[in-house]
Amino acid sequence: MSKKSDKAKALQKKATEKQKNILEMLKSHGAKIYEDLDNGQFPKFSIPSRSVSNIVYDKKLRQYILGNSTALRSSRNTSQLRSFTQLMWLAFFANRLTNEKKSSTLRDIYYSSQAFAIDFEDQAESDNIIVDLEAVTSRPREDFHIFPEERSSIFGDLNIEYTIPGYEGKSMNLANHPDGYAIGPSLTTAELVDTSAEIVIAIEKGGLFTRFVEEQVDKKFKSIIINTGGQAPRSTRTLLKRLHDEMKLPVIILTDGDVYGEHIAMVIKSGSANAAHLRELTVPDAKWVGVWATDIEKYKLPTIPMTESDIKRCYDLQKDPRYLDGIWKKELEVFLRLKRKAELEAFSKYGLTNITEKYLPQKLELAKSL
Amino acid sequence: MSSIKEKFNQISPSEFFYRNRDLAGFSNPTRSLYTAVREFVENGLDACDQKGILPDIHLTIKAVDPEKPDPKPYILTVKDNGPGIESKHVPLAFGTVLYGSKFGLKQARGMFGLGATMAILYGQITTNKPVTVKSSTDAKTSDEFELILDIQKNKPVILKHKTKDVSKKGLSVSIFLEGDYSKAGAKIRDYVYQTSLITPYATITFDDPKGEKYHYPRIIKTMPRPPTIIRPHPYGIDVETIRRMIVESQFEIPTIDDAMIEKVRKDLGLSKKNLSFTAIMAKAKTRWKNLSRQVRVVIALMSFLKMDFEKLNKIRIEDIDVPNKKLFYWDFGDSQSKSVDMDPESQYYRQLTNTVQGETLTAFLTKRFQRVGPTTAVKFAQFAGFKPEKRIGSMTNQELVKLSDALQKFDDFMSPDPSCLAPLGEEPLEKGMRKFFEPDFLAVIQRNASAYSGFPFVVEMGIAYGGNINTRGIKVYRYANRIPLLYDEGSDVVLKVVNDIDWSRYKAKGDPPLVIVSHICSTRIPYKTVGKENVADRQEIEKELKLAIQFIARKLSVFMNKKGQAEAAKKRANLYAKYIPLIAQFCTELAGKTKEPNVQKILQEEKPIENE
Repeated sequence: MSKKSDKAKALQKKATEKQKNILEMLKSHGAKIYEDLDNGQFPKFSIPSRSVSNIVYDKKLRQYILGNSTALRSSRNTSQLRSFTQLMWLAFFANRLTNEKKSSTLRDIYYSSQAFAIDFEDQAESDNIIVDLEAVTSRPREDFHIFPEERSSIFGDLNIEYTIPGYEGKSMNLANHPDGYAIGPSLTTAELVDTSAEIVIAIEKGGLFTRFVEEQVDKKFKSIIINTGGQAPRSTRTLLKRLHDEMKLPVIILTDGDVYGEHIAMVIKSGSANAAHLRELTVPDAKWVGVWATDIEKYKLPTIPMTESDIKRCYDLQKDPRYLDGIWKKELEVFLRLKRKAELEAFSKYGLTNITEKYLPQKLELAKSL
Repeated sequence: MSSIKEKFNQISPSEFFYRNRDLAGFSNPTRSLYTAVREFVENGLDACDQKGILPDIHLTIKAVDPEKPDPKPYILTVKDNGPGIESKHVPLAFGTVLYGSKFGLKQARGMFGLGATMAILYGQITTNKPVTVKSSTDAKTSDEFELILDIQKNKPVILKHKTKDVSKKGLSVSIFLEGDYSKAGAKIRDYVYQTSLITPYATITFDDPKGEKYHYPRIIKTMPRPPTIIRPHPYGIDVETIRRMIVESQFEIPTIDDAMIEKVRKDLGLSKKNLSFTAIMAKAKTRWKNLSRQVRVVIALMSFLKMDFEKLNKIRIEDIDVPNKKLFYWDFGDSQSKSVDMDPESQYYRQLTNTVQGETLTAFLTKRFQRVGPTTAVKFAQFAGFKPEKRIGSMTNQELVKLSDALQKFDDFMSPDPSCLAPLGEEPLEKGMRKFFEPDFLAVIQRNASAYSGFPFVVEMGIAYGGNINTRGIKVYRYANRIPLLYDEGSDVVLKVVNDIDWSRYKAKGDPPLVIVSHICSTRIPYKTVGKENVADRQEIEKELKLAIQFIARKLSVFMNKKGQAEAAKKRANLYAKYIPLIAQFCTELAGKTKEPNVQKILQEEKPIENE
């Protein structure tokens, strides 16, 4: 018990340390702006450019990163004045959130702005300002207690301890609730204590996630199952990375057998261009095990034809440096050749349990050699 | 053939116009009322312009029976303060078609005073009422006529004539006519309004049938320079015109009557003496240099006739037959035609033939046309393939056609003389527009004179923006020879040029409150239709219009730029005022301070300068 409370203390200390750092950083930004204004000057700051030309692929980091070019944002420039003010408000609001250890969501930010007469036209605009804040501070929004809406979930034998205020030291086993646990702020910040699992299976769809839980895939294959809910949110990617790095668990990814599925796997593995300003969001060792284009032929899966935008997406991805070799390249080519795609559910053709009893074991075996 | 010709000849000009009245704008009661107003108002303005009198025009339209529905008879009266018309000319001027004083090449609103007569004719045929003309040329007495027009005979019939004592000069014409004011009213009011705009030196008053008074007082007291009558330019001259000019250029062989003989005697200093033929010729030789052309011609004739004054008194010269070198005369004594041979070697032969054959080509060109000097005339003769000394009267029909063609093709004539034009002038135009529109911005330009087909023209243009102009989009007021053009604007060259302009290039985007006044002055406006409401797109005119509009549009764009800058500065200041305090508020808490930074310094700096 004492050991546990020691650990909780350590965790709390770590969290407090992090909070202190963030508050310090925000304060220094604010002080600079304050100083400019007080000196009768238009405040300005520089921000890494997020234009396409400044997004480059770093082979060593195995992810997209921002290049060296920066843009100057000046409040003298009337076309930037509004977004300048919006960013200042966001920093101000993030400061309050962090200071008071309160969480917020992207949507909540958008609505909160209205109380301060900050006129965001829509949530897209406020989301974009949040990315600006991330770029200026090189910190993910989660550090400022800003989270996306929860749609991603986790299930499996994993013990965690919360660090959020009011729950510090409280622990939980993530196999306790068959619907799975939403991957929200409390889970993302929780300490990962221990697990009996030997692998993490990230799956694209909620339907299959439920099936896997029902089929006890967690027990049969000693796994933690994560529903990415389509393109994996950052909190989920952070959690995946921590499961891999801290718990030393391999990560495999199961997606639909189409080009979007392939890319969902790629983003978990090496990030997205949208988040090129952030690190620590990738699991470079994660493995995409299916559904591959070659699986469509191999397992004689029922298919539907690819749309024009599917095909265009294939050609677009062929220009991405990450798709220049290995299965990434090969599967893209096969998709283009077949011009057809298959859903994960396609295995139902051979029985509802076919995917867990036949396909999954084969793929898990295969993953070892990938 | 001859019978057809006779039939044509039987139609008097009145009859012709009566049959074709729709051509002159008298097609229906609406149009006719409007056209009649125009004709009388323009005549009044023209009369004042010509005498340099600041015009004072009073137009009245009254319904004969106000209760009746339109169309119905109206009394139209136009009174001016012009020079008036002499009593003896009044019946002919108002009771004859094609009678008038506006001949000659210069700019005037109307031509030949034809329209006014047409209006009278129209009034007469629709109401069967006479025209009333009151005229005073001396500000003492006024002659008042009641006239009707005998259409078949093209002659006035005076119904009444009386004289009255008055104190003002001027002319008043009053006619009864079938009209439709409910439909024509808007057009007539527009006409009066627009005429006042282009005639800022006139006072125009309009009492309409509904009891409304439209009064446009004089804005300026200086009149534009009146146009002068000038000789024609070679371009635009046809064979028929040349033929008429040649007739004018020939000297008539003087009639040898008592008065002429007396003149010759006096010039030779022989008033008292009766000299013999030989003595007369000798005397003439000594005095030749001082003799007038007429006297010289008589002496030349005498030299071939070999007659003294006494004999000369008894004959009449019939013909000078140049090709056969014969002189024909009628001998009263013998009551028969006789002839003598003329010696081509004689010094007097030349005198006679020159008189008969008219001027040399070069003299004809320099004397009868505008802006042709001796050098140009000689150059032209070479170009046309004539000897410079070729007598104009000796030209055959074919040669005349050749001459006429060459006149059009010769490039070295100077451009036509614009002194026959009377543009309004930049200052009056500007003052008129300023008074009418009270705009935020105004620019005017008078282009230099140019010419099309030998007719000189001048383009004047003004542009006004904002202020009291509340139209959305560009409103164009078109004028030709100070007449507003109200109908058929769609096909007009001015509209075409205005619409071809990319106004956004001149910073006038969307539907700017913009007024353009365009005035074309010419001795002949190239109207597209007989109705004279739209100007044809002659290349030369289009070019001048374009240059004029570009010039004033550039000035507009300078104004709009300044205005835009001022507006942008204001907008910027407003943005700063809105956002900077917010930034101050947020960064204060972020920086952990309690007192907000002083942002007034920035905001003061960025305040726009007022009234830029």
